[in-house]
Amino acid sequence: MRAALILAVARLRAAPGRAALAGLGILAAGAMTGTAITIAVSLSGGFDRAADRADLPDVTARFRERGPAELDQRIRALPNLASRSYRLEVTDVPLSGGGRSTRSGAVEVLLGGRRGYAVVDGRDLRPREGEVLVERGLADTWGLGVGDLLRIGVLGPQRIVGITVEPSNVAFPLARAAHVYLPREPVQRRFGRLPANVALLWTNDRRHLDETLVQARALSYGVRDLRLITREGVQVLVGQAAGIVIALLGAFALVTLAAAGLMLGSAASAEVQRRLPTIGVQRAVGLSRRRVAAVHALEAALLALPAAAIGLGAGATLTGPRTEQLLRTLNELPPGASLPAWLVAGGAGLVAIVALASAWPAWRAAGRAPARVLRGGDLAPAREGKRRFGGRARAARDLSPRTAERRGDGLAHAARVPRAARRGGLLALGARLAAAHRARLAATVAVLAASAATALLLLSLASLLERLAQDPALLGRRYQLTVALPPEAAPAVRAIPGVAAAAPRRIAEGSDAFALGQPLRLIAYPGDHTVFEAPPLASGRRRAGPREAEVGLGLAEVLGLRVGGTLAVALASGGELRYRVVGVVRALDNDGRVAYVGERGLVAAGLGGSPNLAVRLTPGADRAAVGRALRRLGARPRPAGGASTSNARFLGVLADVLRAVAAVTAVMCLYALAQALALVARERRATVAVLRSFGSGAGAVLRVYAGAALIALVPAALVGFAVERILLAPGVARLAASYADLPLSAGVREAAVVGGALTLVGALAAGWMAAQTIREPIVAGLRGE
Amino acid sequence: MWAKDARPTVWAVSVVVARGLVKRFGDGRSARRVLDGVDLDVAAGELVAVVGPSGSGKSTLLHLIGALDRADGGSIEVAGRRVDGRPERELTRLRREHIGFVFQFFHLVPELTGEENVLLPARANGGGAAASRRARRLIEELGLGEAARRRPPELSGGEQQRLALARALVNEPAIVLADEPTGNLDARAGHSVLDLLRAVPDERRGALLVTHDPAATAIADRVVRMVDGRLES
Repeated sequence: MRAALILAVARLRAAPGRAALAGLGILAAGAMTGTAITIAVSLSGGFDRAADRADLPDVTARFRERGPAELDQRIRALPNLASRSYRLEVTDVPLSGGGRSTRSGAVEVLLGGRRGYAVVDGRDLRPREGEVLVERGLADTWGLGVGDLLRIGVLGPQRIVGITVEPSNVAFPLARAAHVYLPREPVQRRFGRLPANVALLWTNDRRHLDETLVQARALSYGVRDLRLITREGVQVLVGQAAGIVIALLGAFALVTLAAAGLMLGSAASAEVQRRLPTIGVQRAVGLSRRRVAAVHALEAALLALPAAAIGLGAGATLTGPRTEQLLRTLNELPPGASLPAWLVAGGAGLVAIVALASAWPAWRAAGRAPARVLRGGDLAPAREGKRRFGGRARAARDLSPRTAERRGDGLAHAARVPRAARRGGLLALGARLAAAHRARLAATVAVLAASAATALLLLSLASLLERLAQDPALLGRRYQLTVALPPEAAPAVRAIPGVAAAAPRRIAEGSDAFALGQPLRLIAYPGDHTVFEAPPLASGRRRAGPREAEVGLGLAEVLGLRVGGTLAVALASGGELRYRVVGVVRALDNDGRVAYVGERGLVAAGLGGSPNLAVRLTPGADRAAVGRALRRLGARPRPAGGASTSNARFLGVLADVLRAVAAVTAVMCLYALAQALALVARERRATVAVLRSFGSGAGAVLRVYAGAALIALVPAALVGFAVERILLAPGVARLAASYADLPLSAGVREAAVVGGALTLVGALAAGWMAAQTIREPIVAGLRGE
Repeated sequence: MWAKDARPTVWAVSVVVARGLVKRFGDGRSARRVLDGVDLDVAAGELVAVVGPSGSGKSTLLHLIGALDRADGGSIEVAGRRVDGRPERELTRLRREHIGFVFQFFHLVPELTGEENVLLPARANGGGAAASRRARRLIEELGLGEAARRRPPELSGGEQQRLALARALVNEPAIVLADEPTGNLDARAGHSVLDLLRAVPDERRGALLVTHDPAATAIADRVVRMVDGRLES
């Protein structure tokens, strides 16, 4: 072992440049892995971490204000109840501080018991006058910290004593309301005895939560506007803000890990290929096959360890802050100590892959006759090409023995040159030189194709994000504008030139009557809803009768609904609506947890009041003219939005994450290609030197390397595009949102960007290699082959 | 032109003029003076052979004259153009326009056919139809029609070296530099190559040959001997 270690260290020291190049590749793969692990670990457990630390209740009940004593009498009787606490939530309270203000403050007055939030800076409240806790989103956005003053409506300035995270909703400003927390005593002194409108319930056993919920509904007689939401339901609600996006990022992390593994494997294999003569010498001087493999594994591990560590660190550093920002926006917590543990495990995995990928081809090579290995032939047995006129025998006839031996490698390679590549100038020559090692070329193409496909996926993802936020058609919406006008104004709006249809869009939030923790959204139009919203049908038919519903695939999956089943909706008022499911639609809105129902039933239940009018324009209508006409009716038209992720800051953070990951992918591409060209350059030093001896300058050498780059890049681009379109995009879209058809395939713009990037990568790699070659004396090159 | 017994006249025009060439390898105390004040002229129509023991500096001299390496002292002119002290770009053009090389190990590109190998210098330097015609004429004159259609791994050593000679001539250089052109061939193949080499010099072209082969020295117009970095006539 010690001897192997000494040999491995000596070889690394003997060729520091080459070791640095190989290390750079491992570093790039490490960066990709670090990025993927950081994203995956951070996003996958963000809610659970925050919920655990915040001691988030199992059930949150909201209702019309009640006296705490009378309320507690009922709640105490619930089965499986471990503990409970109450709050008074006052909304639309003016807040100001740090030079900013909002009229959408939500003041949570704590009426005792467990808190349900985590204090991440400062301390918790004491029953004193003048103390307030603020949610982290508000503190971040307004630049507030512990010790600063926050003015709260009529209560005036309060001293901030702590910053909180409560993952019951996304953070301000992604959520409209900014949450602040006050102790009961000072508020009670000022306003008298305080009622409660929020109850936080913790159960003994979450598995029996349904029984508690059923009992809660039974005991809710007289309690108005009751809404129950479970911890699981909160997770769904929070996830709605960025559900598809986060799921796509998670799926992307998996793809990235696979690409990094592929790249490491092929790079390590190519490195051993380059060292075949050395392996031959080792075998010739008596090293055992196992020792040869061990030396290679050890050497690779020695190189991989620091390179992978730096790469993982760089990937985590590059994406860590942006991912943390994303988590902060979602009111979730970073992974803390578990992330380094995952990164260490990832690093160990990388080192193991590199060591194994080096040891395996070395083991195979060492199993062959040393003389054959010394000639440096390919690992796979070279197929003999058809030889005309007794080719090889004739060639050997008049050569001196030394020359005949030198020619061995060239013979094997030349026999495997594709016929198609036998014409053309220096570009074609470069292509032929690179194609001489088909296995290596295939590995390079595979790495580049995986990178191209990944980059395409990233760009498609970014493009999809923009469209999700801005393009209502993506959600199946066929109306372009909404206006805050009463339903009676619909005929007047329809009369405006350029307006094809206008109708009130009624929305009501509810939850499934059987699984009370599952929130859903009811959407209703008078008459045919497909005039305004027509997400594609996955099964069944469009609704026709008043008691029929089309449900989103997301809702159908969660509740196990099928065509012919019954959707029972528990309303906040305590009532219930029942519908027969006649169709399942691929809706993106609200993570597919929607149901299109009849308007009359909703209105009769007192729901969906104060709807906005949805306005569908005729094709080619003058939006400005329609807008002016709507303003004359007394309403300001608003463009129909996309998904709920329309917050610009949030999307900016996501775009940053994607860009960081794309940058790592581009570096990986550059490395893979540069390494492939370096191998060609090394093997064909003499060929290039001969070219230079004829008077070919840097331009000619550049064309040769450009040809070698093109033969890898062109098929890689084609394969990459195909893989993205056929495998990755549908696969990732399915992973991210099984409830909808996500148009994730790359478009012309993405293809052009990736094509341009590959061209740039090719130019850089070929230029770098040409510059390296030109620096070398021609005589040295002539002696080198 | 390529008749075996043709012995062209030596013209007075010098295609190579080297004066006081010095070349050192290594630094400090380990430095070795491989060329120590070498003077050499090669005239148009002349075939000059340089002989000497291994390590005497023969190949180094060829590399300096061929602008493949730089001298530490002295001056070189090839086809009336200075080689020493010129920037790499000028040396590249000089090699392209005035110098042809024949190497001991042929250095044909195994992926290309014989004809493509011959054409390579012309194509690499932007040669068009004229270069192609020249290459075909050379192939024809050297009797390499069959070999030109095949790739080097399918050719004999003699055929490869003859193709290499055609490749050296395709850009119509003023001087052909041959480094041990028969060093890896058996006697018969060596003779066929030497026959062709003998016919290279003409009124505008000379040839300089580095060799250990007595047969090669026999065809030379002039033989110079390199001993310890100096030339002896």
